[in-house]
Amino acid sequence: MNDLHGIVFACRSDANLGELTRPRNTCSLPFGGRYRLIDFMLSNYVNAGITDVGIIVHQSYQSLLDHVGSGKDWDLSRKHGGLRILPPFGYAERGGEYKGNMDALAGVAEYLENIRQDYVILAWGDMAVNLPVAEVFQQHLDSGADVTMVCTPTLKGAPRFSEYVEVDDTGRVTDLSVHPVAADKTLESLEVYILSKKLLLDMVDYCAAHDIYNFSRGVLQPRLKTLKLMSYVHKGYVARFQSVSGYFERSMDLLDPAVRDDLFNPDRPVRTKDRSNPSTYYGPEAKSNHSLVADGCRIEGEVENSIIFRGVTIEKGARVSNSVLMQGTVVKSGASLAYVIADKNVTVNQDRMLMGHFTYPLAIAKSSVV
Amino acid sequence: MKKEVVAMLLAGGQGSRLYALTSQVAKPAVPFGGKYRIIDFPLSNCVNSGIDTVGVLTQYRPLELNSYIGSGQPWDLDRSDGGVHILPPYMREGDQGTWYKGTANAIYQNIGFLDLYDPEYVVILSGDHIYKMDYSDMVDFHKKTQAACTISVLEVTLEEATRFGIMNVDENDQVYEFEEKPKHPKSTLASMGIYVFSWKKLRQYLIDDEADPNSSNDFGKNIIPNMLAAGEKLMTYRFQGYWKDVGTINSLWDANMDMLAPNNGINLYDNSWPIYARTPVKPPHVTGPNAQVSHSLVTGGCRVDGVVENSVLFHSVTVEEGADIQYSILMPGAVVKKGAVVSYAIVAEGAVIEEEATVGAPPTDDPDWGIAVVAGGVTVGPKAVIKPSAMIREDVKGGEQA
Repeated sequence: MNDLHGIVFACRSDANLGELTRPRNTCSLPFGGRYRLIDFMLSNYVNAGITDVGIIVHQSYQSLLDHVGSGKDWDLSRKHGGLRILPPFGYAERGGEYKGNMDALAGVAEYLENIRQDYVILAWGDMAVNLPVAEVFQQHLDSGADVTMVCTPTLKGAPRFSEYVEVDDTGRVTDLSVHPVAADKTLESLEVYILSKKLLLDMVDYCAAHDIYNFSRGVLQPRLKTLKLMSYVHKGYVARFQSVSGYFERSMDLLDPAVRDDLFNPDRPVRTKDRSNPSTYYGPEAKSNHSLVADGCRIEGEVENSIIFRGVTIEKGARVSNSVLMQGTVVKSGASLAYVIADKNVTVNQDRMLMGHFTYPLAIAKSSVV
Repeated sequence: MKKEVVAMLLAGGQGSRLYALTSQVAKPAVPFGGKYRIIDFPLSNCVNSGIDTVGVLTQYRPLELNSYIGSGQPWDLDRSDGGVHILPPYMREGDQGTWYKGTANAIYQNIGFLDLYDPEYVVILSGDHIYKMDYSDMVDFHKKTQAACTISVLEVTLEEATRFGIMNVDENDQVYEFEEKPKHPKSTLASMGIYVFSWKKLRQYLIDDEADPNSSNDFGKNIIPNMLAAGEKLMTYRFQGYWKDVGTINSLWDANMDMLAPNNGINLYDNSWPIYARTPVKPPHVTGPNAQVSHSLVTGGCRVDGVVENSVLFHSVTVEEGADIQYSILMPGAVVKKGAVVSYAIVAEGAVIEEEATVGAPPTDDPDWGIAVVAGGVTVGPKAVIKPSAMIREDVKGGEQA
């Protein structure tokens, strides 16, 4: 399994996520009580035996750097290979905005040429999915495909930001639509691709020479007939994050045991930065029901239907329901929260009442004091 | 490369008074406080004190401890110069070599290791105490007083003093007498088993002690008395704060319960002196619709849908709906099924308490009452009853009493 090289695109900050992506890249959005979104794809790679991973970063990636560090929490801190952060040096000369994934790859062309492996997997780092990458790779080799793309039959994305594919009986992709007005096909592409290093380099070169920025529009669509483009259908859980309410809904999905069992499959554990938190302490009057609670919290109040990240404090007499409280949130005594997303280190003072709605959760910006 | 200070952690003891809990692992590897193992405390203290070279002397059942320590990465002890080293007894040319005969002999056998780093000072630690301590302050004190040996001491009650090694000191805290478990203690300064030695001195005493066939090669019994007799300067270093020996079932249970007290003197949430641990990759814990958790510690990977009060749950513990856990310690992966009652008990790693079984009971006047212990991997069958003080090492069938 060492013949596969991992590339993660960590270069979009989705504006529709509002307050949640202001201080960070979408890939470093906290999710599921103790993870950042990039943890899922990095873990998928590592669980498939991938040892060399390049992360292409572009904007506001400081929080991402802080999170992945040397890669040691994913066993990617290695003497040879391991984790490489690929900042946008390529753009410095040309200036301007990052324009698409092919453009991002062109910016790191030299890195790609030096890849030791014969195959490359490309994926965005802003999905929560436990993908059996080893299986996808095996199918790629067995099917003799030029490119294998991972698809889901459970449509999750907003059509304006998603891609859909049509396949024939053999699983070969016959049509691909990019960002349509409405979902017009039965399979949604997760924009995860496996292809040979050689083909990738050819494509990057071709795109750079022809001013093509988008992989789907510029490479896959025009070559549907000539490229053997095969689909891999992933039936497991997939979460994509394209709006604040979507983030909230996907967080609440985790309260379903079937979703947790799929996403946190112990055979393919999701690794994240270790913070050496102690266990969570529940006080004498604490209540906690139907919630996901990470380590290092002090819970003396009441929690229901919520996702509580590491190091959260909920004081006596405080009530939290249907909310997502990120790392370091402090809810003081008597405060009451419902349908709230509190970003990192938010403090909610005594007796405050904050209430959103399931369709419109209230997002509180990082480090705010209410 | 020369190091000013090297720490040697004595981790070879069986901890026989922990009975079933140490039948498979050495005492320092016994889980503690929801997230830790006992050895995390001295190891983290070393790192936080700026000591980056630590020898861990193992002997009894070392496999789990070895793999737990691994490269030392969780404690930032994976160094290119120094770091953590596992030191088992070893053979020498001509079929020479023995097990570690005593604490002093364990260090004697590793003189070669210490010589590699040529330290000025050696800190001797043991792997069975829960405490936070800045060893660098103690080393500074040792340097300032120009002692040959500095012994960390704790003020205990006169009653407790009969169970410890007691230091009798003059007005400058210099030791003039050492008494092991005295019947009539003259002082209440108990040795905590933490020593700082000037290495050149200790090295010589170890060699001399080894040459004495009548010696039991122990720090408390031989090295300290020998140094005193020779007129060396031995100082006591007074420690204040939380310190607990967890060498017995009761003290281990007690110390775990201490972690629940809000002002226990060992704040695990204090980021300025973190206790590090090698933690498995687990998602956050889940509380179900019927969960009632109060005054307890709960760790990643747990699924709780029953009642948990005054208890410590390690990672990946399952407490099913209708199960009732009171004043108990559930070690990693323990499972308590529907309707089972666990009270004043320690359930070790991976043990399963089947439906409607009962383990342990609240304290009574009965002098035989005590904490019930279910060893790792054991299954207690449905409706079985485990009495207080029981030590369950093998499966108990459904409906039986043990």
